[in-house]
Parts: sequence; C-alpha cells; structure tokens
Amino acid sequence: MPGGKNMRPPAVFLHDSDVLPGHIGALEQLNDALEIDVPRHPGFGSDDHLAESWDSVGDLAQFHIERIRKRPDGGKLHLMGAGFGGWVALEMAVRAQELFCSLLLVSSYGIKVLDRTVAEFADVFVLEPDELIDLGWYDRTRFAGVRIPGYPSGSETAEDERAFADRAALARYGWRPFMHDPRLSRWIETIDIPVLIIGGAHDGMLAPRHDELLAQRIPTAQFVELAHAGHYSYIEAPDAFADVVLKFLRQHEYL
Amino acid sequence: MKFYHFSEMPYPYVTNELDEKYRGMRTFLPNRTYDPVLGYELYQRYLDEYEMADELGLHLMVNEHHQSATCLQVSATMSAASMVNRTTRARVILLGIPLPHRDNPVHVAEEVAYLDAISGGRIECGFVRGTAVETYPSNQNPVHNQAMFYESHDLIKEAWTRSDVFSWEGRFYNYRYVNVWPRSYQQPHPPIWVTASAPPLIRWTAEHDYNLAFLVGREEDTINIFRIYRRAAAEYGLPEPGPEKFGSMVLCYVAPTAEKARQMGEKLMWYFTTMNPRQKGRLAPGYLSPSKSVDLLQGKLGAVRALGLDALVDAGVILLGTPDTVIKQVERLYESTGVGNMFLMMHAGEMTSNEVRDGMVLFSNEVMPAVASLGEKWEDDDISWRIANDKTPVGNTLSSSVS
Repeated sequence: MPGGKNMRPPAVFLHDSDVLPGHIGALEQLNDALEIDVPRHPGFGSDDHLAESWDSVGDLAQFHIERIRKRPDGGKLHLMGAGFGGWVALEMAVRAQELFCSLLLVSSYGIKVLDRTVAEFADVFVLEPDELIDLGWYDRTRFAGVRIPGYPSGSETAEDERAFADRAALARYGWRPFMHDPRLSRWIETIDIPVLIIGGAHDGMLAPRHDELLAQRIPTAQFVELAHAGHYSYIEAPDAFADVVLKFLRQHEYL
Repeated sequence: MKFYHFSEMPYPYVTNELDEKYRGMRTFLPNRTYDPVLGYELYQRYLDEYEMADELGLHLMVNEHHQSATCLQVSATMSAASMVNRTTRARVILLGIPLPHRDNPVHVAEEVAYLDAISGGRIECGFVRGTAVETYPSNQNPVHNQAMFYESHDLIKEAWTRSDVFSWEGRFYNYRYVNVWPRSYQQPHPPIWVTASAPPLIRWTAEHDYNLAFLVGREEDTINIFRIYRRAAAEYGLPEPGPEKFGSMVLCYVAPTAEKARQMGEKLMWYFTTMNPRQKGRLAPGYLSPSKSVDLLQGKLGAVRALGLDALVDAGVILLGTPDTVIKQVERLYESTGVGNMFLMMHAGEMTSNEVRDGMVLFSNEVMPAVASLGEKWEDDDISWRIANDKTPVGNTLSSSVS
C-alpha cells in the first residue's frame, strides 16, 4: 500500500467539459480515501493563455504529464477522468503510464468504437440546453454541477461568458475529428495498469454500449454500469459511484 | 455608383412545417425535401435573371452557402463561372469566398485566376470569414476561423504576386510547391474585397488597401463601419478612401406604385424570416469572443432580424418604393455613408421571376440613370463623411449585422 498511515494515496481527476471546478459530486466523498487533485485544463479558466497556440488533446495531456512529473514527492498517482477529461486521461496513460497506478474513466470521449456513419457523440454545440439535460441525466431534477451558456435563462453575464469560453476550449481540442482521436485509438491496447470504466445506463451523450465496447479494447479494463445515472454519474449518483471506485481500489490493494 | 444584382438563389418550396420541424432551413433540413426537377428549373431561372441583369447594365454579385435551402449557390467560384459565360459586360463580384471553410487556398487562388483569365478581367474577389453556421458544413474549427482567414489570404496573395515557385509551411496550410497557373488577367490580381464588421478586421482591410463591404446593416452601422475604415486608412498613411472603396448590400424593390412595392417588400422579408439559426451564440464557439457570444444570446447582435418591414426601410436596410422614392433612398445612403457600390438583393423567397424582372427593369431604367453619377466627383464635395468633416467618435459596431 503506497503512503504511510493517515496518508491518502494521491489521485488526479481530469474534468469534463461544461462542469464546474472543484470536488463536485462523488469527488468530495472519495477525497476522504484519496487525495484528489482536480486541475483545470488550460483554456477552461486556468492558464488560458497557454492554450492559445494548442490544438489537440495531446497538448493538454502533455501539459498535465509535465505538471505531474514536477511534483516534489514523486510517486505514482491514480489517474481519473470523466467525459472529455477521460479522453485526456487516456492520452496521458498512453504517453506516460509509468506515472500512474490505475486509470478510472467515466463516460469517456476520445475513442470512436462504432461505424464511421454513426454519430457516436452527442453534439453539445448544436443541442439546446434542455436537450442536453435530457440526454445527460437519468433524473433531470438532479441536474447540478454543470454550466451551459445561457442556461437557465437569465443567467449571469459573467457566468455565460465563462461558459462560452469553456465551449471554445472544448472546440479547440475536440472539434475535428469530433471528440475522438484515431491516433490515440491505435495505442490504447498498450495500457497495462488496472483500468475501471464506469458508464451510466442512461447516458445519451454517448452512443449505446460505447463504454462497454471501449472496455473491450483495453485488456486490463473492467466495465461497470450504474443503473440510475446518465453521463454525469459521479454527480448524479455519488454514493453508488464512490462505492464502485473504492471497491476497485481495494480489489487492487491500493486501499 | 455601381449597382449589382444579387440573388441567394433560394429554394422556396420548403413548407413552414418543415422549417419549424428542423428549426430552420440550414444544415439540418434533410435534402430529401429538395426536388431535383424543380431545382433544375430554379437554376435556369436564376441564371437567366443574372443574364438579364447584365443586359440591363447591372453588375453581378455571387456568394455561397452550404447545406441550406436559403441559398443554392454552393460555391462563389462555380457561380461566377456560370455567370461569366452567359454575360459580356458585367463585373462579377464574389462576395465572398469563405476562406476558413475552403480546405485548399491554392485552389482558391487558381479558381479566381481562372475566372479572371476567361472573363478578360471582369472579376472582383471578395474574401469573407463565412458565417458561424458555415462551421458545420465545412467542419472547420471555429476557434481558428479568424487565424485561418488571415493565413489563407496571405497564401493566396503570395500565390498571385510571387511570380515564382515557393513553399508554404504555415500553421494551417502546408505546400512544398506553390505555383499558380494561370495568372489572373488583371495584374497583379483582381480587386480584393473583404466583408467586415468587427474593428480589427476593418482596420486590417484598410491597412491592405482593400475594398470594404458591409452586408445588410442599418445605415447608422454602415456609417460607423466605413468611418472606422477611413480613419484607419488615414492612420496607415493611405489616401482618403473614396466611394469606390465601399460596398453595402441592401434589399431592394422598385415598383410603379407604392402599393405594389410594399407587396414586394413583404416578399423580401422571407430573407429575414428564414434566418433562423439554431442555438444563437452557442453554435460556433470561438467564432465570436465570449462577450460577443453573450451579446448574441441576449439578442443584442443580429438586431436587424427582429425589425419589421417599415423599420427596415427606415434603417436603410431595404430600398423600397416607386422610382422617385428609391432614388431618394439611394441618394440618402450615399450622402450619409459615402458608399459607392450597392449590392442589391432584388429577389427573395417566393417572388416570381416576372416580379424580379419587373423590379430589375424599373430599377435600371428609372433609378440607375438618376444616381449613376453619385460619388464620381466626391473629392470636390464637402460632404459629412469626408475625413475632415466627420468628428463623430467611433461607436459600437455589429449591433445589427445579420451574420
């Protein structure tokens, strides 16, 4: 077990697009067992100037990798990412898996598993806020932690400007090919650290079976589907989500 | 004053139900709703109208949009190729080629040079960023739209003027050998136009001594936008820009009676009522700054769309009435803005070909002769928009632009 008594194993959680900063949803309770760093991606309200010359998730992944390499205490981390952050985490795992002891992906973008004429990822840029909520949530009354430009109507101008800037950052990294990278797809089979892929049974942002088929592409991956959750399962069903993650970490004797 | 005939070549057979169901006529309206035979007849009709405009002494403007029932012109260069073979006199302005949405700037340089070569130098070449909604048909990243516009332009200009083989390794475009054949008939290249409403792009246009076009804006915005250009030109040490440097697109219909004109004005409104882009500012993130995106979301941009017919006529967006009335409207726009080129959309939506032709004939017979000389001796005129006379501070722009 890494770390001494009272030392929480370190983890880094890479955020999805449209989500608010910080330890939202299940991250708050998981932070009791792990020491979770939730960095903001450049372009999403932190180090935005760096992103101006970037144009790929590879840029973003390398940025996070360099940041992790510079940590004074060294040691391996648990790597986690949700949605767009899952794509970044996959790219990081392929580039530098020696830095990580496990990988958690939540409803992850980044890899296209279905046919070329199947629109596998819902188009957040085209869908209306209400459509996005219907697609993203099992129970829309649990909608929280997500920021959509102009939603709800009468939202603060400054918040909307931030939301638009976040959308522009997402476009910068994920516009074409849309929300995936064929080059990354060629290398995910080289990942050999334990991988947990969590999907929400009611995730309409990804095509049906996307998470499961992604899990089949990675030899060390196991797939768990949460019955009462959509795309943002760690926000919508935090208790069930945390249980699955803790069980996975105990199974591999990290806790 | 030069006048250009312009039609977006709309496909007018889309029902309100379909428009409603697919939330507009662009990008998401399935093409099974397009009838190939009706489409063929439309193209023949529209090309005939352009041909007639040439015979009437009008010049011609073409444009392009994609995956849209509002505009069946799919490539400004292809449209211009159709025009130059059917016409003999008119200058043909491409307004414009949406540079960031064209994958290959070298092909653009070649195609425009070809058009100019076969037409004996009748081409005016407009470069535009392309509207936000064009982002989907081309799938080009909206975040890079402006930067791609500049780099594509730089490459095309180099291809037209370098006179030798060169290589281009830019951020967005890469070629080992650029060497465009043919060369354009007009040397060093056809006149360049840019459509702009944001101050940085207006200033860039002035700095390059290109012509500036502003499309479907209120008179007060046109005044302001041309003002920014004139002041920038002065800052860059260029001669005072005359009317020939400026163009504005307006909708227009001239009829024998005010009643008939009004009836046609209602038909022109199709152009505005079908402008129904989804998602407002959310559609193309990064195409506009976050603050402009919020303005769009809150309805502060694109205000023209919300105006009714009378307000659009008052604002100088639509020229409408009997010949005497329209002569006065043209004179007013010249006097207030200093515009020297008017791109006249004399057709929209469900107007019949006879209606379009009647309007064009009356315009060219009754209006054009009365106003053709406007701006010819502008340097002798002590007029409000002259740099020496215009002390008004530069105001906010883009408050009404459609795109």
